[in-house]
Amino acid sequence: MFFILLISPLFTGVIRKIKSKIQHKIGASVFQPYYDLIKLLKKDLVVSNTSSWIYNVAPYVYFITSLAAAMCLPVVYQLRGFSLYTDLLVIVYFFVAGRIFMALAGLDTGSTFGGMGSSRELLISALVEPALFLIIITVGANPEIASTSVFSIYDYVVENSSNTFSTINILLFAAMLMVMIAESSRIPVDDPSTHLELTMVHEAMTLEYSGRHLAFIEMGTYIKQLVFMTFMANILIPLGLNAESLIVGLGIYLLKIVVITILVGVIEINTVKFRLFSLPNYAVIALIIAVLGFLTRFVLR
Amino acid sequence: MYNNALNLLAILILISSFRLVANKRQNGYITTFRLQSLLLALISLIISVKSMVETKKFDEVIIIFVLIVVFKVIVIPMALRKTSDKVEYKVEKDFFINIPISMLLCCGLVVLCWYVVHHVEGITNPTTENYLVYSLSVVMIGLFFMISRKKALGQIIGFLVIENGLFLAAMMTTDGMPMIVELGLFFDLLTAFLIMGIFVFKINSTFDSIDVNKLKHLKG
Repeated sequence: MFFILLISPLFTGVIRKIKSKIQHKIGASVFQPYYDLIKLLKKDLVVSNTSSWIYNVAPYVYFITSLAAAMCLPVVYQLRGFSLYTDLLVIVYFFVAGRIFMALAGLDTGSTFGGMGSSRELLISALVEPALFLIIITVGANPEIASTSVFSIYDYVVENSSNTFSTINILLFAAMLMVMIAESSRIPVDDPSTHLELTMVHEAMTLEYSGRHLAFIEMGTYIKQLVFMTFMANILIPLGLNAESLIVGLGIYLLKIVVITILVGVIEINTVKFRLFSLPNYAVIALIIAVLGFLTRFVLR
Repeated sequence: MYNNALNLLAILILISSFRLVANKRQNGYITTFRLQSLLLALISLIISVKSMVETKKFDEVIIIFVLIVVFKVIVIPMALRKTSDKVEYKVEKDFFINIPISMLLCCGLVVLCWYVVHHVEGITNPTTENYLVYSLSVVMIGLFFMISRKKALGQIIGFLVIENGLFLAAMMTTDGMPMIVELGLFFDLLTAFLIMGIFVFKINSTFDSIDVNKLKHLKG
C-alpha cells in the first residue's frame, strides 16, 4: 500500500516522458509529478463561500478510498499484508464511492463547469462499468477458483503462472487496458493536460480546487491508475509472480508496469480525444472483448 | 514459446477486426487493415522460423512472409490511400447499422463460429479448434463489414479482411500451405483488388461519390 502510494506519481511522469520522447521533445523530468504535489501541498487553500462541507471532505474521501483500494490488491505475492480476505469487487466499490464524492463536490460550488464535469464523469463510469465487472467475474469464474476473493485468485495465479498467454488472459488484458484508460482519465476518453472546456471531464470537476485539496485529488488519481495497472500486471499477466525472493518479484513487477505504461503512452500518441458521443462506441468495444473472454472461459478447457 | 506467440497474434488479429468494425473513417479502415496484415506477416514469420529450427531446412513460408509484407502491408494500403485521396471526400455516415449494434452482431458471429466449429468432427487438437474459430470469425466479420458499409472503399477493405481470415485459417491449421497455392491466392487477390480499384474510380466519375447506394439509379 505504501509502496503504491510512493511510486504511483512516477508512472504518470513516465507516461508524459514517453509521450514527449515520441514527439521528439525533451519533456519534463520523470519526477515532475512529485514536485507538483510538493508545490501544491505548500500552497494556501481557496475555498468558495457558497460551498458546503462536501467540498472540503471530498478530496480526502477520494484519496482514502483510492488508498483503500490499493490496500486490497497486493503488489507482490510476499507482501500481501491485510489483503487476505478482500474481494475484487470491493475495489470497484471503493472507486465508485470516491467518484460519487468527487461528482457531488463538482456540483457543490455551483460553478457551470463543475456540474458538466460531474455528469460526464458519471456517464463514463457507467459506460465502462459493465466491462469492468465482466472482467472481474471472468477472472473469478474459473472452476478452480470459483470466487472473486483476492486471496484465492492470487493463490491460483501463483501456482499456474506458466500459463500466462492464455486466450482468456489476452482478451481480458485488452479489455482491461481500455477500461483503465477510461477510468484513469487518459487521452482517448479525457485529456488530462488541457483546460479546454470542450474536452475536460475530470478537470472540470476539480477546477475549483487548489492547494492541499488539489494535491490529494491528483494523488488519488495516480493511485487509481496504478491500482488498475497492478491488476493487469499481476492477475492478467502473472508472468514471474511466483518469484522466490522479494527483490526479484518487485523488479519483475516494476518491469511489467513500465511495459504497460509504454503501451499507454503509445496509445495516447496515436489517438485523439474522442467526442463525448463517441464514448459509447469505445465502451462497447471493451465490453465485447470482455464478453468474448467470458464466453471463452466456458468453451476452452 | 512459439505457441504462446502464435496464440497472442491470432487473438490480436481478431481484436483488430473488431477495431475495424468500430471505425468510422476510411483512413482508419486502411490503417487497421495494414496493422492486421502486419500481424499476419508476423504469424507466417514465426511459423517459418519454427519449422526451420525444427527441421534445419529452408522453409517456403518465409517467402510468404516477404510477399505479405510487400503487398498487404505496403503496396495495397498505399494504393488504397491514394484512391481515397483522389475520390471526392465527403463526411457522410458510412454505415447502415450503428456501431454498438454492429459490434454486438460481430460478437454473435464469433459465438456462431464457436458453435459451428465445435460440431465439426475430426478436430482433435483444442488449439487448432481455437485458431479455426478465430480465422473463421475474421472471415465472418469481414463479410459483415462488407454488407454494413455504404462506400465502395469500405467494401474493398472487407474483401481484403476476408482474404486475411482465409490466410490465417490456412496457415494456422496446416503450418503453411504449398507454395503454389499461396502464390495463386496472392495473384487472385491482386487482380480482384485492381478491378475493384478501377470500379471505384468509375463509380466516382459517374456519380460524383463512391456511395454504392447510388447504383440503384442505374436502371435501363
